[in-house]
Amino acid sequence: MNCPELLRTQAFLDGELTGDAAREAERHIAGCEDCRASSASVAEMSDVLRASTMRHRAPQALRDRIGALLDKETAPVERVPRRRRREFWTGALSGVGTAALAAALTMFVLLPPSAETLAQSVADAHTHALMSGKVIEVASSSHHTVKPWFAGKVEVSPPVADFAQEGFPLVGGRVDKVAGSRAAVVVYHHGRHEIDLFVWPDKGARLPGESTRYGYHAIFWKSGDLNFAAVCDMEGAELHKFVNLVRAESE
Amino acid sequence: MPHLDAAYNLARWLSRSPADADDIVQDAMLRAFRAFDGFRGGDIRPWLLAIVRNCWRNAGADVRRRAQIALPQDEDGGLVSADPDPEAVAMDTSRSRKLDEVIALLPNEFREVLVLREMEDMSYREIAEITGSPIGTVMSRLARARTMLREKWTARELA
Repeated sequence: MNCPELLRTQAFLDGELTGDAAREAERHIAGCEDCRASSASVAEMSDVLRASTMRHRAPQALRDRIGALLDKETAPVERVPRRRRREFWTGALSGVGTAALAAALTMFVLLPPSAETLAQSVADAHTHALMSGKVIEVASSSHHTVKPWFAGKVEVSPPVADFAQEGFPLVGGRVDKVAGSRAAVVVYHHGRHEIDLFVWPDKGARLPGESTRYGYHAIFWKSGDLNFAAVCDMEGAELHKFVNLVRAESE
Repeated sequence: MPHLDAAYNLARWLSRSPADADDIVQDAMLRAFRAFDGFRGGDIRPWLLAIVRNCWRNAGADVRRRAQIALPQDEDGGLVSADPDPEAVAMDTSRSRKLDEVIALLPNEFREVLVLREMEDMSYREIAEITGSPIGTVMSRLARARTMLREKWTARELA
């Protein structure tokens, strides 16, 4: 394992690369034995590390104790504002190794994503998942299993329903990234096609509507404070049928 | 209380002890609460985890020495699962126990990047922020951590 590109390969697997950088890394991995072996190993370890049993939860007694302590303090802790990422970048680019950070910025996408970036990012995530075989982290056809699985893993609670009757059975879900935002991905099948339904918080980005990348079609829409993208290699009409089912269910 | 589980998970993996993790998290939550005016914006989770990490370091060399030699079998009941399928849980749990021991063998600076990346799903930039290291260092430590984990894991599997 001495390929000089191993760190880039790792960055790709960690979802840190997008666009051209991601495509280049992907091409490299396909042709490099070291990087293919490393990818498989990282993916396998990652699966085990991310198993629900690995993560420690705060015991109730501790929760109660801290709750009581905080109650004695004056300011209301529950009203912690979730400020926007953008403010962080305009206001707080100081401190931690600014030079190193600046050098690394060329690799990372940090600003609110453009429609173009979103189209690319969703296609990248979809193909990456298919390539790495990590399409499904929780496998179940029951929305009672899939929906709660997302709790605590992503900011959003995506609508999850089984459309087996209509020819789109629910098969599972995973956590992925869309242009830097963590997204819930609900996975469906249609015949031998795989459909990824990406759901992530709406932060005001402009969505592309429809896009096609590497032969994969994507349809984007907003509903409430959520952004949606359905991605598949099927014909447009079938994908529209699926999108209509999801929209009817969630709206 | 936002992100208490994330704070506890990090404290637990850093300190390797339920009692120490309790103290660290309690300390960290109070500090975070009092220091909230100094919060510069951005995502609150990395900010909180940085405080947890500082509290752990402040907890002293004593705790850290014990942490490195502590074995997981004397810690019971800390691993809680939300997975409703009991068979999957049993399988996951035995695997997790083994992995738990293996992770315990990693030096602190490698264990922390691994936990932050894989369990807390922090980006490189966020890990850099939390650990006060340049992104390049985060990347190389993460790669090294994964290699070490793989080697130790394979050794256990074969043993």
